[in-house]
Amino acid sequence: MKVLVVEDNKEIASSIHDFLVREGYICELAYCFDEAQEKLLLYSYDCVLLDIMLPDGNGLELLKFMKEKGIQSGVLIISAKDAMDDKIRGLEGGGDDYITKPFHLPELHARLRAIYRRKQLSGSNIVTFNEITLNTDTLEATVHGSLLDITRKEFDLLLYLVVNKNRVLSRQSIATHLWGDYTDNLANFDFVYQHIKNLRKKISAANGADYIDTVYGLGYKFNSSKT
Amino acid sequence: MKLVDKFTLWFISVIVITTPITSYICLNNIEKKIDDVEIARLKAVNEHTAARLGNGVAPGQLRDTSPTVVTQLAALPNDSVLIRKDPDPDGNRHSLESRLTVNSYYTVNGKHYEVSSSNYIPASRQILNAILDTVAWKLLLIVLCVGLSARFLSQHILHTLRQTMKKIHGFDLKKKIAFPETNTVEFKELNTFLKKMTDKAVDEYTAVKEFSENASHELQTPLAVLRGKLELLSESDIDEGQAALIADMHHAVEKLSKINRSLILLSKLENNEFVVSEHIKFCRVARDVLAAYEDRLEMKNIQVKRDLDKNILLKIHPVLADMLMNNLLGNAIRHNIQDGTIELILTHKKLVIKNTGLPPETPPEELFERFRKSNQCSESVGLGLAIVKQICEVCDFRVSYHYKAPLHILQVDFCPDSVINEAAQDKFEAAEMQSA
Repeated sequence: MKVLVVEDNKEIASSIHDFLVREGYICELAYCFDEAQEKLLLYSYDCVLLDIMLPDGNGLELLKFMKEKGIQSGVLIISAKDAMDDKIRGLEGGGDDYITKPFHLPELHARLRAIYRRKQLSGSNIVTFNEITLNTDTLEATVHGSLLDITRKEFDLLLYLVVNKNRVLSRQSIATHLWGDYTDNLANFDFVYQHIKNLRKKISAANGADYIDTVYGLGYKFNSSKT
Repeated sequence: MKLVDKFTLWFISVIVITTPITSYICLNNIEKKIDDVEIARLKAVNEHTAARLGNGVAPGQLRDTSPTVVTQLAALPNDSVLIRKDPDPDGNRHSLESRLTVNSYYTVNGKHYEVSSSNYIPASRQILNAILDTVAWKLLLIVLCVGLSARFLSQHILHTLRQTMKKIHGFDLKKKIAFPETNTVEFKELNTFLKKMTDKAVDEYTAVKEFSENASHELQTPLAVLRGKLELLSESDIDEGQAALIADMHHAVEKLSKINRSLILLSKLENNEFVVSEHIKFCRVARDVLAAYEDRLEMKNIQVKRDLDKNILLKIHPVLADMLMNNLLGNAIRHNIQDGTIELILTHKKLVIKNTGLPPETPPEELFERFRKSNQCSESVGLGLAIVKQICEVCDFRVSYHYKAPLHILQVDFCPDSVINEAAQDKFEAAEMQSA
């Protein structure tokens, strides 16, 4: 997947760049409005990560520009503005998703994948890893073809792990992904542990391999090298 | 009492007090003047008579038109003129006139004469009556004129003041106001002062607003950088010790971003950025939030007893409703004990959340302050209840907390204006159906 990151903060841009390159994506950076415009005209991208506040223009203008030129890339808006009005403006302006800073990189990745699925795979809803299959449309998960009896949260968790396989996911980032703003109220992340435990139990009950590793002190990792 | 009425009353009472005094002076002056004029005339008459006596006219022949009496005297008194005023010449007490008599003494041809002339002048009671009549008319006219003209004048003069007051009434922190032009010095001063004050308020409000907006952007970005770098670092080849350090840093960054977000939210609430215009179904919000917390309730094995009335339409911003419910329920779960209970009661008048938990260590009234929390849970930021309080203030609700062992009871009383009553509800539902 080819991604263009439009972000004026070089630190954030390089973090995203490193992260996406490690994931095997082709990642281009644009630090300002003009640069982004030029790149969008010259090349085509599967997805654009777009910061709304740019030093020489507004990201929303870029959305308009893309619409005018018929550029079909998916757009994930990244912004420090978290007011509802801003989100509505961004999404109605042509964004496919909106994520507020500070965000977790795996969260960004999961959303990027979701946009990619919707846009490029013409809505193919099946995510497969070895014996595990996830249908993001019906929210059904199967292991070796047998249906798992899992809750919505557990499904989201498994999807998040599979999409970010071989990556350390902190408990915080999992909590933010699963509960969004509700995590503001949470004292600790024990409940993440609880969900992981349940998920492991259910997968092994269906004779699936235990891919989920606990990374001491940090969180969890979906280890694809296990068989 | 209106300003103009006060002025009118004051003015009239001054006139009422001064009128008797001036009337008295007036009476005296008129009387004196009449007397003086009359005395001067009678004196002249006497002089004339004396002159005729000198010319050899016999005193007996002198009685012509005027009531002048000439008497021959043995000796002259000390005074050359004697004036006598007789207020009651008719002998009754209600005489309309007084008699003024002037006696002049002359020595003509070696003989001493007393020439006495008299005339009738209006009695002082008559003059007084005339003056009282005038004063009565004058008072009536003055009261009428003052009353009417003061009103008219106040309309004109106080017009600026009234306009200024109207402007102040409609003062909104979001924009500056222009005051009406005036040439009255006091009003000019007042307007300048008010203008300075309101402009300052607006400027400060804008500055605070700008600060909160900037704070959100400027702090969120470095936080995003920190978080991203930490995530990249945690994926590199690290040992357990390093992982623990990274986890701690993660935690701190997370907390920082939470505090930041909460403070921005608080300032947004204080700036009244959530304008409420519609009613939402609060019961639905309560149910949704409860559903969202289901897994956490299960984890602590908390029994929930719910008593939710249906069709509760509350005037509150949807985001705030969500936040209010989330904070309250989140608190009830967080501060709960294993296998505890939560009781949720929602009626048209109030929302009550009762939960079990350890006895509070902070005085209840301090709980709603910022960064105040009971020690049971040092992980929390300590802004949850401050946000709840601020939301309640914005929506005109009243929130209270008390502890009745073993239950913590948080109660939110809705203000009657913000709940739609039964009759209006049907209308609301009909409108909703139509729009759907």
